[in-house]
Amino acid sequence: MLLAVLIANSEGNILVERFNGVPGEERLHWRSFLVKLGADNLKGVKNEELCVACHKSVYIVYTVLGHVSIYLVGKDEYDELALSEAIFVVTSAIKDVCGKPPTERLFLDKYGRICLCLDEIVWKVSSPS
Amino acid sequence: MADSSGTTLMDLISSDPTSAPAPPSSSTSAQAASTAKTTSSSHQRAASPFSKAVTAVTSVTSSNNNTDKKSKRSTLMQIQSDAVSAARAAVRIPHKSHKKKPVSYAQLARSIHELAASSDQKKSQRQLVHHVFPKLAVYNSVDPSLAPSLLMLGQQCEDRTILRYVYYYLARILPDTGAQGLTPGGGIPTPNWDALADIDAVGGVTRADVVPRILDRLSTEAVNADPEFKKTIFEEFDEFDYVLTIDFDESDCDVHYLILLIGTYTKVGGQSLCWYVAVSLSSNDCALGLHGGLKLWTGKLSNLFALFHARRLQALKALTYASNTPEILQKLYEIVFGILDKVAETPDKRKKGIFGAKGGDKESIIRSNLQYGAISALRRLPLDPGNSIFLHRAVQGVSFSDPVAVRHSLEIISELATKDPYAVAMALGKLAQPGGALQDVLHLHDVLARVALARLCHAISRAKSLDERPDIKNQFTSLLYQLLLDPSDRVCFEAILCVLGKSDSADRTEERALGWYKLTREVLKAPEAPSVKDKDKSSKARRPQLLIKLVMRRLESSFRSFSRPVLHAAARVVQEMGKSRAAAFSLGVQEIDEGGDVNTFAESNDQEDGKSQHEGNKDTVASLLASLMEVVRTTVACECVYVRAMVIKALIWMQSPQETFAELESMIASELSDPAWSAALLNDILLTLHARFKATPDMAVTLLEIARVFATKVPGKIDADVLQLLWKTCLVGAGPDGKHTALEAVTLVLDLPPPQPGSMSGLTLIDRVSASDPKSALALQRLVQAAVWFLGENANYAASEYAWESATPPGTALMMLDADKMVAAASSRNPTLANALTRLQRCAFIGSWEVRIIAAQALTTMAIRSGEPYRIQIYEFLHALAQGGVQSQFSDMHISNGEDQGASGTGLGSLLSPMLKVLDDMYSAQDDLIKDMRNHDNAQKEWTDDELKKLYETHERLLDLVSLFCYVPRSKYLPLGPTSAKLIEIYRNRHNITATSGMRDPAVATGISELIYEATKPAPAEPDNLDDDLVNAWATGLADDGLWNNAPAMNRVNEFLAGAGTDAPDVDDENVISRPSMSYDDMWAKTLLETADADDDDGRSSGSSSPDSVGSVETSISSHFGGMNYPSLFSSKPSTYGSSQPAEKSGTSRNRKPSGGSSSYEAYGSPITEEPPPYSSPVHQRYESFENPLAGQGSSSFDSHEEERSSSGNVQSGSALYDFTAGGDDELNLTAGEEVEIEYEVDGWFYVKKKRPGRDGKLAGLVPVLYVSQS
Repeated sequence: MLLAVLIANSEGNILVERFNGVPGEERLHWRSFLVKLGADNLKGVKNEELCVACHKSVYIVYTVLGHVSIYLVGKDEYDELALSEAIFVVTSAIKDVCGKPPTERLFLDKYGRICLCLDEIVWKVSSPS
Repeated sequence: MADSSGTTLMDLISSDPTSAPAPPSSSTSAQAASTAKTTSSSHQRAASPFSKAVTAVTSVTSSNNNTDKKSKRSTLMQIQSDAVSAARAAVRIPHKSHKKKPVSYAQLARSIHELAASSDQKKSQRQLVHHVFPKLAVYNSVDPSLAPSLLMLGQQCEDRTILRYVYYYLARILPDTGAQGLTPGGGIPTPNWDALADIDAVGGVTRADVVPRILDRLSTEAVNADPEFKKTIFEEFDEFDYVLTIDFDESDCDVHYLILLIGTYTKVGGQSLCWYVAVSLSSNDCALGLHGGLKLWTGKLSNLFALFHARRLQALKALTYASNTPEILQKLYEIVFGILDKVAETPDKRKKGIFGAKGGDKESIIRSNLQYGAISALRRLPLDPGNSIFLHRAVQGVSFSDPVAVRHSLEIISELATKDPYAVAMALGKLAQPGGALQDVLHLHDVLARVALARLCHAISRAKSLDERPDIKNQFTSLLYQLLLDPSDRVCFEAILCVLGKSDSADRTEERALGWYKLTREVLKAPEAPSVKDKDKSSKARRPQLLIKLVMRRLESSFRSFSRPVLHAAARVVQEMGKSRAAAFSLGVQEIDEGGDVNTFAESNDQEDGKSQHEGNKDTVASLLASLMEVVRTTVACECVYVRAMVIKALIWMQSPQETFAELESMIASELSDPAWSAALLNDILLTLHARFKATPDMAVTLLEIARVFATKVPGKIDADVLQLLWKTCLVGAGPDGKHTALEAVTLVLDLPPPQPGSMSGLTLIDRVSASDPKSALALQRLVQAAVWFLGENANYAASEYAWESATPPGTALMMLDADKMVAAASSRNPTLANALTRLQRCAFIGSWEVRIIAAQALTTMAIRSGEPYRIQIYEFLHALAQGGVQSQFSDMHISNGEDQGASGTGLGSLLSPMLKVLDDMYSAQDDLIKDMRNHDNAQKEWTDDELKKLYETHERLLDLVSLFCYVPRSKYLPLGPTSAKLIEIYRNRHNITATSGMRDPAVATGISELIYEATKPAPAEPDNLDDDLVNAWATGLADDGLWNNAPAMNRVNEFLAGAGTDAPDVDDENVISRPSMSYDDMWAKTLLETADADDDDGRSSGSSSPDSVGSVETSISSHFGGMNYPSLFSSKPSTYGSSQPAEKSGTSRNRKPSGGSSSYEAYGSPITEEPPPYSSPVHQRYESFENPLAGQGSSSFDSHEEERSSSGNVQSGSALYDFTAGGDDELNLTAGEEVEIEYEVDGWFYVKKKRPGRDGKLAGLVPVLYVSQS
């Protein structure tokens, strides 16, 4: 499942985050883990060039789009390859909304619409109980 | 971070720089709430804009409610004007101010209320879409008081964007915060609305107030089955529910409109408003409006239907966010099943639309949208495994035209298939056959659908319940193999993993092994390869192809990709391949001859058509693997450290025990020099080493060598506990032949170059290279300490050298006073021990003070445990160390190890003196004994009882002393030397003393004896000044459960092995993870000494050690290593295990308990031990009255003492409290009330005997303690 979608600005401030099935106490860890990951690895990365990471059996694919960085965390069927496809959809949606790879300003201007699109794309599947 | 980002967001988003970024206060919320109330009254005004009525509509009347509507209209007019003025008065925002963008939450909320009530629909909608709604998303949550306005907007607006937002925000209000559904974050934090509303005395709006309304509304829309909607004259539209009646048609100039009245849609103040659709009969245009004037939407009729369905789908989707309550869930199931029931017909039963073929197309689109919506909603609902309707609906979805619907359907089915493959296979029935819907999925344009198909095929093709239906299994297997040809890497890799037998929950070695076998042997027959368009290629693909070749080709090409995710995934697949391969090897699957030509398999699999392709060259699995691994290795050059980590893991898994690992080692070594590696990643690799070891214990030495690279290169980054645990498991698992090498590999950490002359800093070359910063230096120091301790504890085990096994009489050692000869003799006899000694001696000289202390302790341990000449060698060395430069005064002996003898100022004097004293005492007592014996021999007189008693007392005293320093097996250890054995045995026999009783033992008083008292539960009395952390770490390392279960290292390893990370194939996870009944003593018992079989072997020791020591040693090890038979620590005769404990090979953790037990009873029955001493109650009382001043663990072993007592043969009777059904061969069925004899207790289980055999014919076996009451 898709565990988290997180969008941060270049300073590592989180702009949007969506967690699915991640307990509250773990979210903080994920936030800092992802932001650190981005800070360490996203310098000099081209727009939409995919980076990958994993933590135990959870996969992370992240990339840069304009001035924001986008992180997707998934497990099970959402492995690195599925996440690559998902992140492509997310980046396309953001580009559609913003018209181009967004600056932070533009992203914030279009914030609501981005949230709307993102939440429509990422429709949580409840885990079988 | 959220705060800071919140501020950033607020600062940036707020276009009015003066506006305060503070979250709304309670007052603003109250204001919002009051506004909401106002608007709820203005709700009635929903049908506001009458002025812009379509001409056609002005005259629209319904036959039945014509008069109603007129009165309604006037009432509404009134209400509307009231509401608008009230709303304006309440919010005090003039319409003009909309140009100023609202920023604070309160303003936004007010705007929504206001705009919802606005008379100017177009303007307000624009305002909402462009300013209000987008800004609202910035906030973390949505105030429930907005719900009424949102609902109203949802009703009156048909603007798609507005509707999108409306359903979006409704969905955000619905779920409990954080529980389910949307949990947006990163925005500006909002207060807890419910709490605020509660505080508000006037009565704010809480979730509880609005959620039922929202749900009601959404479910109505989702069902869209209001009875009035059912009335339709257009049969074709029956299933779509929305066309009601033709009121009448009216010609308006030259356009003929068909007016369809949809019906009462909105209830306002007890009155209904009517929706209408006006359809132009000439142009196929239509308009949607609310009766009373407002034309909401115009367009093509077909689009109108889509609009309705969009609402329906959105409502359904939003509704699923609230699926956490049973009522809603039930409702949702009904709605979804209802929709599926309608739309699940086969597509060819397409109906003609009222307005021609065009409508038909739209119809199919709508149908597929509905299919998608319903199946997606179903996917979000909890699985209902036993429910055949659920399964049926899910299976229907496979044939749907919408790819995502098919995906969701397959996902549901594949999850169900893991639970009940038989039912799923039956339900799928024909769909799986050639030409069926599942075949179509192969070409479906949705990656995840194909992934789900692979999982489904995997689940069914491996299902045991379908064993009698090979035809079904074959269908699914062949589907799975065809997915190997999938153009998407994601699908292909998933198929490979499925073939390899990887499963999400628990990997089973057999599955894995079978997976590897299938991959290397099976053939993909005549795949249709439709994805390959090229004719040549497709004809080529039709030939039978070996899976292994296919997979290898695919992986090799993936490794040439530039995409990091692809590389990572490919490396992961190779890693999984390595796991399956290791499993196949460990199970010894037949015919895994990797040197065989794989093409011959193709032939043998393909004899009937005889078309197997020989490509001229001989392909072996080994050669295919080799070429793959070559590509994998080149991937290490990838700049992404995570990809490299995965590649290294893959290499570790693909490394076979026979191959040289030099390349891998050097690769890892060079990788570790890269500072980009994070500690987490390095530890992950360390854990992979663990997992690899568990899969193939033969690789212990290789893995230790690799682990050593970690220890020396990145000591600061790795988890020292995990590393030590790895050492330990590897040493134990390396087997009798490998343990020497394993110990060597561990102690290579210590094999530091000697300090340069003139440099006493103690820093070594490796230190300088890798531990440049203080933290790393410290970590390295700690590792060295751990290694030294490890060496001291385990050198004797690794070298199989024990004082109590030594045949060399002490006199011999004393005669080897020539140091050179002694060293030569020592190293020629046991090079492992001699090497360990040399290393420890060096550490005692040149290490840091912590290392020196531990080295001295380790040396003492070795001196006590080793026979001659090692003991004397160490004794002499310790003297030198204690005395420094003046050692010559103390002894004539010379330092013989070639080290700097001027070790003055080692600072170890005070530490060493008690150790030396023990050794001194032992030697002088040995001298006395020899003297006495000689006297007795010369005088040819018997030993008197007094003399024997004195001798025995000395023996006991020395044993106690020795036990203070390290663990020794009391029943076997002879501090007075082997010659004393006979005399002590005579004395014991004469006085009915078992070797392990010793009531006068002072150790009993100190509590230490409890740790070491019986070999049943041996525990070492650790040197009292040993570093606590270290001891704990080692206790952790020595035992992986019981009291120390919480040790972080063990947890990490267990988690990792249990599948939190990569899955270790053959670990019996349950046993590893938790065995709560295990006590501290068990823990030591299984890692330290065993004595029982040795007793039987040499018969020299008169004491009987308790059976459980053997049992528990075997328990831990066999459970740990998947039932393989490993020697325990200190086992001098590991090879005898097989014969003496045959039952233990069976592998399950409980199996050996009865066998251990039975051997114990034989031992007790033997004449040597005589009856067990009646020590239980007095000793127990004494324990209670004594504190244990020396050993902290003493108190923790009280309970185990009881356990020990019950296990030592006091047969109790009891009766069964409940029925118990045996879960294994060693367990016993019980019927409640049955009388049993409790023989002993092991780990929460009683070994009981029934008075007469049960129906299964069994008389004795294990039952849970809780099932039996002791009488």
